[in-house]
Amino acid sequence: MNTDPGSLVILIGLPGMYLVFFGYGFASITSAGGSGTAYLQFLTPGIMSFQAVMAGTVGGGILWADRRWGMLAQLLSGPFTRLQYLLGIMLTALLFGLAGGLVMLGVAFVLLGSIPTGAVALGVMFGAITLGSIFFGSLMLLLAALLKSNNAYNSLQILVIFVVNFASTVFYPESSGLPVVLRGLFQVNPLTYVANTARGAYLGTLGPTDGYQMLLLAVETAVVLFLAVRAYMRSDLAYE
Amino acid sequence: MRRPLNALSTAPNFPARTDAVIHAEELRHSYDARRYALDGVSFDVRRGEVFGLLGRNGAGKSTLIKAMTTLIQPTGGTLRVLGMDPASDGQRIRSRIGVVQQGESFDFTTVEGNLDIYGMLWGVPREERRRRREELLGRFDLDEIRKRRAFDISGGQKRRVQVAREFMHDMEILFLDEPTVGLDVIMRRTLLDSVRSEVRRGLTVVFTTHNLEEADYLCDRVAVIDEGRILVLDGVENLKRLYGGKKTIDLTVGGDAAERFYGRLVEALGVGATVTVSGSSAVILTDNPKEVLARVLELSQSVGVQLEWLHVRQNTLEDVFLRSVRHGGESSGTA
Repeated sequence: MNTDPGSLVILIGLPGMYLVFFGYGFASITSAGGSGTAYLQFLTPGIMSFQAVMAGTVGGGILWADRRWGMLAQLLSGPFTRLQYLLGIMLTALLFGLAGGLVMLGVAFVLLGSIPTGAVALGVMFGAITLGSIFFGSLMLLLAALLKSNNAYNSLQILVIFVVNFASTVFYPESSGLPVVLRGLFQVNPLTYVANTARGAYLGTLGPTDGYQMLLLAVETAVVLFLAVRAYMRSDLAYE
Repeated sequence: MRRPLNALSTAPNFPARTDAVIHAEELRHSYDARRYALDGVSFDVRRGEVFGLLGRNGAGKSTLIKAMTTLIQPTGGTLRVLGMDPASDGQRIRSRIGVVQQGESFDFTTVEGNLDIYGMLWGVPREERRRRREELLGRFDLDEIRKRRAFDISGGQKRRVQVAREFMHDMEILFLDEPTVGLDVIMRRTLLDSVRSEVRRGLTVVFTTHNLEEADYLCDRVAVIDEGRILVLDGVENLKRLYGGKKTIDLTVGGDAAERFYGRLVEALGVGATVTVSGSSAVILTDNPKEVLARVLELSQSVGVQLEWLHVRQNTLEDVFLRSVRHGGESSGTA
């Protein structure tokens, strides 16, 4: 946390700016799908879920930074296993996702004056963010292990973040007016599952669908985590 | 083609010495199907010695270091480090060794932060960490830059940080992969002296370098490696004694007839001397420097070349290295 404050400002500040600018900017033209919910209230759990994707970028970023600055080979010469190193990165990504979600909740409290404080609501929200952080952390680590150049990784990461964020229910609900292809993308996007569940907990509208989506996300997370670990353990990352 | 002779591989079985901390037997490694980076390397490293690996770029030194430090698994042969197999006991081995990589390796923090984090990673208690950090910052002349970010300091300073960092934790073997690159003469000597003082306390060091003066200064034994094979392995003094009585003559001639001159010189000297020619310069190894000098002067006049440089000196480790690499190895004494 003390090593790169500039990146932390971007990783926390950017979602914060979305919350503030989108929240107030779009409030005048939308009421979140006609549900009567203020847009800022609709957006808050979405932005909290967004932190799961940012957590993923932290994970992939750590691996690439260590590769680039020689610390990967140095650490792999230390008294740790490769798996311990990888799990350390995953834990960092997870903590970042959770801390980021907490900060966004704090920003929302400042803007809205109130937030859900029930144990179940908070537990479900942060549980969804946890699962999402592990999923996206694993996805970015998988990409980082498979791709051979930092430029390729950065480009693909930006593309993934863009598509995942905007083809999800982070900023807007899934509308019946969307083209079929776009709706399909929304429906298979893991970030949609995280955002829907977090929103259900935040607004007190949790339903069975949220449970199924979380179960599906758990399975997907297990698969991606397995693939990431396998790719990382097999790759010749140490001698570059 | 003369097969490189490794003094330690003459026995069909190659039992490890009882005081060996590293034992390699017919070690092989290939990164692809076309070529072996290590091609049947056999040697022991004794406890408490400084073992030098000399070789050109691409000779296999770094591959060998990576194998010994468990970063890669050799594709053939036997390797034991501290009595353990790196393939199955990698973590236990790594907890007892230190490695200074050839390239830079830093965390995004200050110089003292890098030392502190490293000590923390190795489980060094806080007070001990603080004590070692202060001692190492002083010993490696890093006090003035302790608060600066590791990425903002010079190449030589970075190198000192990398080496100092390894002394934050206890270890039995220290692997140094070209540790003095980028250092000035004074700091190079300071670093080598620090390593030497640790060796006196029982540390074993495996040291790769291009700099033969350093190898001469620091190493107890030296292995010359080329194309994945050890060409020569012996004590430094033994290697120099191999040329006992021999002198080296460095020679440079001017004019267009250099090639003809050297051709006739080689013919004239016959087996009495070894002549290694490179362009207009040559290095002549001989038991009888007076005879060689007489021939050189005689031929320079008859062929019509100008003697631009002529120097007679004692043999150095560099001569051993060049001779080994060019001629594919030498028979060496006991190692």
